[in-house]
Order: sequence, then structure tokens, then C-alpha cells
Amino acid sequence: MSELPPEDDPDMQAQQNVQPNIKVNAEGKRDDEWSQCLQVIANKRDRAAFARLFKHFAPLVKAFAMSGSPLAASHADELVQEVMLKVWQKADGYNPRKAAASTWIYTIARNCRTDMYRRLQKFDTPLAAEDIWVEQEEEEPFVAVQQRRNAARVREMLTQLPQEQAQILAKVYMEGKSHSEVAEDLELPLGTVKSRVRLAMQKLQIMTDQR
Amino acid sequence: MVTHHPDMRLLTEFASGSLPLAQSAAISVHLHFCSHCKRQVNALQDMGAEMFDTLQPADVDDSLLDNVLAHLDDEAPLTYASSAAIDESPVLVQRLMTGDYKDLKWSRINKALQIARLRTGDPEHEFALYHIKAGGSIPCHSHKGTELTLVLEGSFSDEEGVYHQGDFLMRDAEDVHTPTASRTADCICIGVLDAPIRFKPWNYRLLNPFLQLQAS
Repeated sequence: MSELPPEDDPDMQAQQNVQPNIKVNAEGKRDDEWSQCLQVIANKRDRAAFARLFKHFAPLVKAFAMSGSPLAASHADELVQEVMLKVWQKADGYNPRKAAASTWIYTIARNCRTDMYRRLQKFDTPLAAEDIWVEQEEEEPFVAVQQRRNAARVREMLTQLPQEQAQILAKVYMEGKSHSEVAEDLELPLGTVKSRVRLAMQKLQIMTDQR
Repeated sequence: MVTHHPDMRLLTEFASGSLPLAQSAAISVHLHFCSHCKRQVNALQDMGAEMFDTLQPADVDDSLLDNVLAHLDDEAPLTYASSAAIDESPVLVQRLMTGDYKDLKWSRINKALQIARLRTGDPEHEFALYHIKAGGSIPCHSHKGTELTLVLEGSFSDEEGVYHQGDFLMRDAEDVHTPTASRTADCICIGVLDAPIRFKPWNYRLLNPFLQLQAS
């Protein structure tokens, strides 16, 4: 985790002046729109709002499903339905102070994709993805705010990563591959994959203090 | 205070969903004790979310929306996750056990060590609880693959350090070590193995069947 930007950081000040406490990222209010949409879904059980959210996120969930393992990809539509239904069912558990709407939906998609993959492989397990990725409570509001600022920065920095690093991150996250699977895929030594991930993380200022 | 953490590869594979089930379970228990790594995982998830957000959208047939709308009023399946946190032990470990530590099927390896396997459904990794008596040691051993260890209760030490509740260790095949519980309290650890564990002294060879990797 990085330090908060110094107070004389003009960008940060400008953001704070415009809309205190609300995440404003490179793409303006996009995240906010979906956060509000999710809250309307939770509070009013509003189907029209849900349909709007569906139209935006279902194509992303489907793209995510299709970039995964061929086994899961062949069930992409099923995954879309499962994820979007979960979004509706769990909307009241969404906390806009903790995460952007897209982050929340991404974690649901990741969980469903992992569960589906294990189901298709006939894993007999008492654990669901939700048991493993317990929604992480963040007690300290200060940290939550910092985290959302980090997310905004990550978005901007991602576009500036060298291709060789961005490609590996895409394989890790969107294709859901382990580091050694990525190494095999790209015919690179495992050490190279690890160090490129590390370099990317450093640029994104994530985990700079982890071994 | 947790001082030993999973490395970056483990956390990244955990956050992105490629880490095997039994290993993910061990990381998840570590996060229960470690707010530092919890934040790291959150940051790693944020990164996944940003990539998710900028994917090239795929065509979704209108019938899918109709289909989902038709099921909105279905009753949501019951979920238990993160609701049963009354007890002190991590929810995930409770999910894997039926009852208390004492209700598990413990295999006695020697005077100081008992092992109980928990079924995670991971076909390639064994997830087990190790109960080391106060002052007792796990016989000196090596293993073929990776060994993940997480301290659930008490503490233990080995040639390289002392490990307390929540501490996480990863050992590779070449590492040979002799973990010893503290003198004052029993130690309970989670151990995740991806290959059979081998004990050094000849007299433990007969015990090896207990420690062979069991694809549960």
C-alpha cells in the first residue's frame, strides 16, 4: 500500500473540491452511476434499474466467462445468468463506501466462475467460493477511502503498462491462469513471469512491501 | 501480531482465482488473522476489477435478460458464509469440521503429534490439522512439493524462526525442518501438502502411510 498523496497534490485537491467523499476517476462519474443504480435495486427492488445494470454488466461478465478456461467458456450464458441473479439477490449487501460497483460485480463473477469450473470438473467440496473469499470488512473508514483512491490510480496506470506486463496480468486475471500456466502459455521461464508481475505491481503501487 | 505472510505470487493467484482450493483455504484463514494481507488482497481485487471493467463487451442475447427477469423472484439459496462467526476460530475452518477439534478423527503419529485430515474436495492437495503437544516436535521431514503451514493456535518454532497465531509459511521441497511447539501450550496448525511428506529417521518410515498425500 502506498502513502496517501501529499496534501499539496493538485489533482487530489481538485477532486476533493468538486465532490468530497465520492470517487471520481478518469471516466468521471461512471462508477458512481452504477453504485447508485445498485442501491436503487437494493432499496426499491427496481426491475427497470436492474435491466439497465444488466445491459451494461452482462456483456462484461460474458466476456470474462469467455476468456476463462474453455470448459467454463462453453457455459458463458449460464454464468451470466447466475452472476446477474446473484447481483439482484445480494444487492442489499453492497456497500458503496467499501467498493465501486464494478469491483463488487467483478468479485461475484470471479466467485461464480471458480465455483462453476469446480462444479464442471465434478469437485466434491463442502466449500463455496464465498467461504474462501469472505467479503473483507474494512473497519477503518480512512483505509476504505484510501483504497478507492488507489483503485482510481490503478485504472489510470493500467493503460500505461508495457504490453509484455499487461499481457501477463490479463492472463492471470481474466483468463484465470496460475503463474506457471502463464509461463507455459508464453513459453517463458516462470521467473520471468513472476518478475514481470512484480514490476507491474510496482508500477501500479500495489504490494510494494510484500516479498 | 502476524509477522509471516504469503508471498506475492500466492496472494495474486488467490485474488485472481487460480490458486488450488486447499491452498486458497489456507490463505483465507491467514486473512482472518492478518489485516495487512487483507488490504493487499483488496488492492489486487481492485486491479482485477479494473481489467474486468475494460474488457471488450461480448454480445448478450436479449433472451438472457428475459430469462433472468423471470427468475428474480425465486428464493435465493441459503448461504452460510461469514454468518457463523460466533466462535473464535475462522468460519472456514468451522465449515470444514463437524463439531470441535476433539470430534475430529485424529491419527496419532507419535507421542507429540496427531493429524486430522479435513476434506476440502481439492483432488491434488491435502488439507490437514496438525496438533503438536506443548514442547513436542514434528519429526524432521522433507517433502516433494510445497508445504503451506498456518498457525491456528499456540506457536511453534523451527530452525528459522518462531511462528504465532495467523503466521503463514511456505516451504519448498528442498527445505528440511523440525517444527517444535512452544513449551507452554499445544500448537494447532493447518498444513497443506501437494506431495507426500517424508520423514528422515528410518523408524518413522513405517509411519509414512499416514502422511502420504490423500486425494480426498
